[in-house]
Amino acid sequence: MNLNTSILQYIEDVKSGSFTVEEFVTETLQRIKDVDEKVHAYISLNDSAINDSKLIDKKITSGENVGKCYGFPISIKDNICITGTKTTCASKILENFVAPYTATVVNRLNDEDVVITGKTNLDEFAMGLTTEFSAYGPTKNPWNLNYVPGGSSGGSAASVAANECLASLGSDTGGSVRNPASFCSVVGLKPTYGLISRYGLISYANSIEQIGPMTKTVKDSAFLLNVISGQDVNDDTTINNNNPDYLQNIENGIEGKKIGIIKEMTTSDGLSSEVSNATKEVIHDFESLGASCDEVSLPTIPYTVAAYYTITSTEAGSNLARYDNIRYGYEMESEGYEYNSYISKSRTKFGPEVTRRIILGGFVPSAGHAGKYFLKALKVKSKLISEINSSFEKFDYLIAPTAPVQPFQFGEKIDDPVTLMLLDYNTVTANLTGKPAISIPYRVSNGLPIGMQIMANTLEEKSLFQAAYALETKTKLPEVPL
Amino acid sequence: MVDEEEIIRVAKLMKVDLEDHVEHVGRVKKMLEYFDILDQIDLSSEEITSQEKSLLDLRKDEFIPHDKLLIESLKNFREHYVRAPKMN
Repeated sequence: MNLNTSILQYIEDVKSGSFTVEEFVTETLQRIKDVDEKVHAYISLNDSAINDSKLIDKKITSGENVGKCYGFPISIKDNICITGTKTTCASKILENFVAPYTATVVNRLNDEDVVITGKTNLDEFAMGLTTEFSAYGPTKNPWNLNYVPGGSSGGSAASVAANECLASLGSDTGGSVRNPASFCSVVGLKPTYGLISRYGLISYANSIEQIGPMTKTVKDSAFLLNVISGQDVNDDTTINNNNPDYLQNIENGIEGKKIGIIKEMTTSDGLSSEVSNATKEVIHDFESLGASCDEVSLPTIPYTVAAYYTITSTEAGSNLARYDNIRYGYEMESEGYEYNSYISKSRTKFGPEVTRRIILGGFVPSAGHAGKYFLKALKVKSKLISEINSSFEKFDYLIAPTAPVQPFQFGEKIDDPVTLMLLDYNTVTANLTGKPAISIPYRVSNGLPIGMQIMANTLEEKSLFQAAYALETKTKLPEVPL
Repeated sequence: MVDEEEIIRVAKLMKVDLEDHVEHVGRVKKMLEYFDILDQIDLSSEEITSQEKSLLDLRKDEFIPHDKLLIESLKNFREHYVRAPKMN
């Protein structure tokens, strides 16, 4: 049985009786058993996956209504809640936290009959770009186990790339879906802000983060977006997208479309020569597909990483205040502690990166410092939105490499906070502006993947998928060597 | 230039016990120094914008019953109250 298949092919195969859901899920679980000791994509597995697959098989054989997912195996990032299961956020603080309710995205998946394989690894509370900040150890890149898989949804990306499931849900605050998608050679979508409900996603920076699908193909991404997008009464930031079929007309092509090559993202100092060469090639590919490419400048981009970290730290400082070991937390005797010292002591269970973000989150919006940091960051965000809206008056798409570099070795960048922050350089713009962006596997150079990012205007996901699909048809990549 | 004492003071306010404070303070300082780049951009004509939503479009402010009392799943829940350390 070929586990390296797409969701759409899997559904055809199950419908035609090539294999049962149970057979495919059993094989997937065996694959997890065989490779996850090395990859460490998962934090926990769903013990009832086989039973769940049997129930769906029963529906199929008895002629009952079957959801459109036909039991394909999917993993879920461990910051998205599922009733009765642990949701750790890869943190020791939430080591034993059992979610009392289920996220809307998971309910929508279950309504359409998926089989959840398990919860995947991440940087603690989704703060990081390598999964090295997970309290449960890093995930390894399936393309080379000595290299980082990207982050923070590194477990999700690796689980898809290593054929330990057919798709995954990640979350993207500043690139956390697209960066690991690029590093592991999978498709990762950050949708328009408000397109997917965040109800049940443990909050990090509410004003800019979104849940996003991670898949093997562009069509699978569109299929999953059909299932999980749309308004939700439990998340008032969701917007009405009139439920379009994102798969319809996906093969329409991009003949006559105008593409802007973002100058600041394709000429930055941090861009590696391999990524720079791939960018030149992608321009040629888009032109051969009938699109016209021109350089476009968004002069505010060099300030976006600082603005992004200022805004997200501020929101994180507020969101993480709830982990006081009284409402959430672990066993720690309160006798002998005064209220504030108890909380401070218990919060030493936070890992180093989260601790630093909390301190930053107190510093940048505080009286005396807000004018220098937080208020300026909000203005940078406004200026960037104006610039990108102007660009979309001239262009249908804006492109750049997803990450300025290819995957790197463990420990290589962890000691330099500024180098780490700058890995977000090409991805934070989509979050700060709320625009949709997708990372497409584009090249494998020296055995390591390079992803390309395409951005479109607000709620233009349908058009975004058309460009992404067109580019996908131009790429022929090797299979993961694991 | 960011004062390290100020970072330590804010950490205390954020209820962070800086056991290994030298490393944390040093890294936070580096990050804040990078944020100085925000001083180089002209924002004099910029307004802070936000997305607005009518109150009419928000969820109705009404009680939605849950299948169990969530407070009972708190580890420090004791019959009718949540136990917390004493306040000075």
